[in-house]
Amino acid sequence: MSGKIGVYFDQQNIGGGLDLEALAAQTSAKWGDLTAVVKVVPVLALAVDEIRADIEAQGLDGVLLCGASPRVDGELYRLPVQVEHVNLREQCVQAYKNPDRTPVDSASAPELLTLMARDYVNMGVVKLQKSEAPEPASVTGVQRILVIGGGWTGLTAALEAAATGYEVVLVEKADKLGGAANNIPMASPLVSPWTDKQPTNLVAKVSEVTGNPKIKIHMNAHMEKLEGQPGEFKAVIGTLSGPVEVEVGAVVLATGWVALDQKYLAPMGLGKSPMVVDAATFGKMLVADQVKANRIAFVLDTTMAEQAVAKAAEESAPAGDEKPAAAAAPEAEEGEEVFVKEDLESLRHLSYSNAVNSVGMLRLANTVCEKTNDACQAFILYKDMTVPGILERFYKKMQERLGVMMTKADVTDIREAGGHMVVECKNTLLGMDFDLDVDMVVLPTGLVPTTAKDVTIHFDYRQGPDFPDLQLFDGFADSNYICFPYETRRTGVYAAGCVRQPLTMDACEEDAKGAVLKAVQCIEAASHGVSVHPRSGDLSYPLFNMVRCTQCKRCTEECPFGALDDDEKGTPRLNPTRCRRCGTCFGACPERVISFANYNIDQIGSMIREVQVPKDFKKEGPRVLILACENDAYPALDMAGERHKPWSPYCRIIPVRCLGSVNAIWVSDAMSKGYDGVMLLGCKYGDDYQCHFVKGSEICAKRKENIAETLNRLGVEPERVELLEVAIDEYDKVPAIIDGFVDRIVAMGPNPFKGM
Amino acid sequence: MAQITIKPDLEFVRALEEAGGESLKKCYQCATCSVACPLSPANAPYPRKEMVWASWGLKDKLRGDIDLWLCHNCGNCSDLCPRGAKPADLMGAARNVIYKDLTEPTVVGKWMSKPSGLPILFGIPAVIWLVVWWIRAGFNGGQWFPRAADGRIVFGQVFYGDYTIDPIFILTFFGALFILARGVMKLWALFKPEGKTTVIGKTKCWIWHLWDVLWDEVITHRKFDDCENGPATGKETPSRKYGHFLLVWSFVILACVTAIVAFAHWGGKVMPVIHFETPMPLTFPVKILANIGALMLLLGLGFLTVRRLRLNPKFQGSNWYDWYLLGIIWLVAVTGVLSQCFRLADAIVPAFLVYYLHLVFVWMLFAYLPWSKLGHFVYRTAALLYARMYGRS
Repeated sequence: MSGKIGVYFDQQNIGGGLDLEALAAQTSAKWGDLTAVVKVVPVLALAVDEIRADIEAQGLDGVLLCGASPRVDGELYRLPVQVEHVNLREQCVQAYKNPDRTPVDSASAPELLTLMARDYVNMGVVKLQKSEAPEPASVTGVQRILVIGGGWTGLTAALEAAATGYEVVLVEKADKLGGAANNIPMASPLVSPWTDKQPTNLVAKVSEVTGNPKIKIHMNAHMEKLEGQPGEFKAVIGTLSGPVEVEVGAVVLATGWVALDQKYLAPMGLGKSPMVVDAATFGKMLVADQVKANRIAFVLDTTMAEQAVAKAAEESAPAGDEKPAAAAAPEAEEGEEVFVKEDLESLRHLSYSNAVNSVGMLRLANTVCEKTNDACQAFILYKDMTVPGILERFYKKMQERLGVMMTKADVTDIREAGGHMVVECKNTLLGMDFDLDVDMVVLPTGLVPTTAKDVTIHFDYRQGPDFPDLQLFDGFADSNYICFPYETRRTGVYAAGCVRQPLTMDACEEDAKGAVLKAVQCIEAASHGVSVHPRSGDLSYPLFNMVRCTQCKRCTEECPFGALDDDEKGTPRLNPTRCRRCGTCFGACPERVISFANYNIDQIGSMIREVQVPKDFKKEGPRVLILACENDAYPALDMAGERHKPWSPYCRIIPVRCLGSVNAIWVSDAMSKGYDGVMLLGCKYGDDYQCHFVKGSEICAKRKENIAETLNRLGVEPERVELLEVAIDEYDKVPAIIDGFVDRIVAMGPNPFKGM
Repeated sequence: MAQITIKPDLEFVRALEEAGGESLKKCYQCATCSVACPLSPANAPYPRKEMVWASWGLKDKLRGDIDLWLCHNCGNCSDLCPRGAKPADLMGAARNVIYKDLTEPTVVGKWMSKPSGLPILFGIPAVIWLVVWWIRAGFNGGQWFPRAADGRIVFGQVFYGDYTIDPIFILTFFGALFILARGVMKLWALFKPEGKTTVIGKTKCWIWHLWDVLWDEVITHRKFDDCENGPATGKETPSRKYGHFLLVWSFVILACVTAIVAFAHWGGKVMPVIHFETPMPLTFPVKILANIGALMLLLGLGFLTVRRLRLNPKFQGSNWYDWYLLGIIWLVAVTGVLSQCFRLADAIVPAFLVYYLHLVFVWMLFAYLPWSKLGHFVYRTAALLYARMYGRS
């Protein structure tokens, strides 16, 4: 609770003809003692020392900086007290336009602009007033990393973590380290210049791991349980000599893949003839020197298999319609839901593995030709030849081999005829359809992530033992963050290698390094009591006023990260280092018992109420509240302002951590205050959903339906509340989105509650 | 449904690589080459498809491919190829390999295909002309370097036209013609698709088509403009038109001179009016024409040689066939000019030695024409004629 606030206006950055002195005077007059210092400074960035002096001299406990967006030069103002920014530049002056769209006179500010600026300053003061400096919830931060899986990725991760100074516990399910890499003595390139096949030297890597005193290895082991939270996880490892308990700070999941079931490729002859094998099997045969074929077709086009699956689905479609209803029934009956792992393996895993197979087949084809000095002919028949990134160089080199012949082709039939195989090719680059007589057909191997088939970690979490929403990624433990690929929905657990995405071995190594870095970061963050990602360094965390909690479990269910456990009664229990500080829990809470020290229901509600809503709708215009996601929508608005793409001056914007944190009460607050509309501006959901907190706007959309119902009951048109989506790069579209909404509100007329 | 079963021939790929297409496996079929080619038609353009056929060793496809001969080797495709696969070199190499296998006896083609065959190619005429010299020396009383009665150097003293040069060259000429004719017929048969070809629309006599070909390609060199005026490649490629033009026309002039001399000599035996004998005086019109031809030859050769030397090997290389042809023409020209100089300077030993070499090289030029790069002048003309008569298959 800030009781003594210094307010500073940045003359250089505001402009727009605003009378800052008048604004300062108004602020002083309105807030009196609360705003102990109110100053207009010519250049805020040069006044940092002055502000520090004021903090010392006046005993300020909060500083309100009115000027540019908090996204600009925010790091300049690291002050010992709470700092809040009022965005008077990008989202006020630069975004201003007259309601009738007449040109703005920059010499003196129009009245509407002055009103807007005053509202924003008052909102800022209230925000600070209702905010407290958060105390960190730090834990020990065990300096030990658990690596699950002793394959190529896991071994790399273990070595990387040990080299960084952390202890490592390595869990391997088999009796031998190396996993799939055991079958690939010569891999695609692992280092520059990325042109040639390269020995993996797996043996050396394994002995480096086994000889490292920092690495403790459990062979023939599996995860029985993971409980606790980042920085102080407790892992229970099932070994041949019984369960072993170990404390770890973070986890790297590198459980890899299993080969796609042969049945999916049966339409292409796999399993029907010994002359048809998959790439993984062929690789093993090649290592064992069992390949005798002289003409080999490497078929990357799997349309035949896809068509067979599509056909089968079509045939079973009528029956399939009834299935979901039947499946839903037992869940409804049972109070205690029993977790059942859904097998997510499908033919799609083959498509996802296309890049790995492309690189792999180039390598295998080149190897057979090299071994026989091109007495062997290898045909690569592809639909999509995908070589990721710099492996293009490898492709170039492999392709140059005399015996390697490639063409894009539709492979329409693979049949046995007279002791050899016939591969029928259509639409080829050779300009004709043709048959190939070969002694062997090699089909791609589908890499199915272990997470699609098994519960790998067995979380002892309220939300269940498995990763949530795995079906969205066809079972891959992938993240929805472009920039944070190792991130999983369970903080402190970082996925690397083929369990995350089918990858070549060089990429697996890079993945392992990245995941270890994240694990280290996580342990450090946990020991400092700050959020690790994406609100890195955030000290705040949700606090529960248990007295009013009704144990409705909404918060524990809706938390996207499973941060909240509960007891038998359903009382929520927070694991602060699992938490990512999005506020989805307090958005969910109907009793409003959850708050953050510096972000809470009352605070935002007070800001909403602080706006002066004029009574005369016709003369003074409507007022529209925009609750904007601060990760995507808010930057988009900033960019729109910067580029002078203004929007309606009747809007007041409040950034929220995530649309998932929007509590229905704020909408009621706005309606009773007399706002004519509320706009919820969040990120786009759907295929390229980039929500930092997984599904904030989606949750918000669901809650909006309930809000609409309430509004209907009160006699307020539910259309006054709209959820609109904008991506971070859509600054050019956002003004039109806002103006469109304001136009609809104007057409609807004033809020019936106005002036009551 | 039965389709064609293809049988890649990797030996053929090796042969293409040796004949100058060593980068062919680099191609990744982006078809930039086909877009860059100023001559390639929109329908089934080249040289993209030739690149994949070459990579797959589809010998029959390439042998029956008329497009190989429509290419005029400007090198735009190679300049723009993002992979450095040098399609222009492949097209040239494919043409060379095809002469090699098409023209009988194929052993000559083998000798022609690499530098190691050169001693044999040189040895054959060297022996022939040495034998002639030895026999004639016997006639000249054992004198290997005889002077004429008036003291002048007359090459005819040794290499007497009527009994040595003329019969040998006439035989060589008609032999080469015969071999070429058989080669052209074989090529023609390869171009012909299976079944019956029907030409729809108005047709012209093949003579007129041939005239069109000669007019565009040889007389005016118009096709070369199309080639040079292709899309800008951003790379400096020296022009071939003028060098090639000078060279071709010098061949025509020198062929005329030879014909006139032969006509005057042999015809003169029945019609004394037209008779004159060599050596001709320097002011004699035919001699002037001959020297103009020789000058043009040297100039054209110079242009083309400098151009080849200036080619950026990153984009376009010169193979053995290229250098063999340029080399042999150089040797013919240089020995021709030098023998005249030595004769006029009255240096009898070098004059006869150089003249002997001149005869060897001229024989090499003509006798091996069907297997050498020079064969393109017949095979390409045939292919262009075919394309005009029946279109591309």
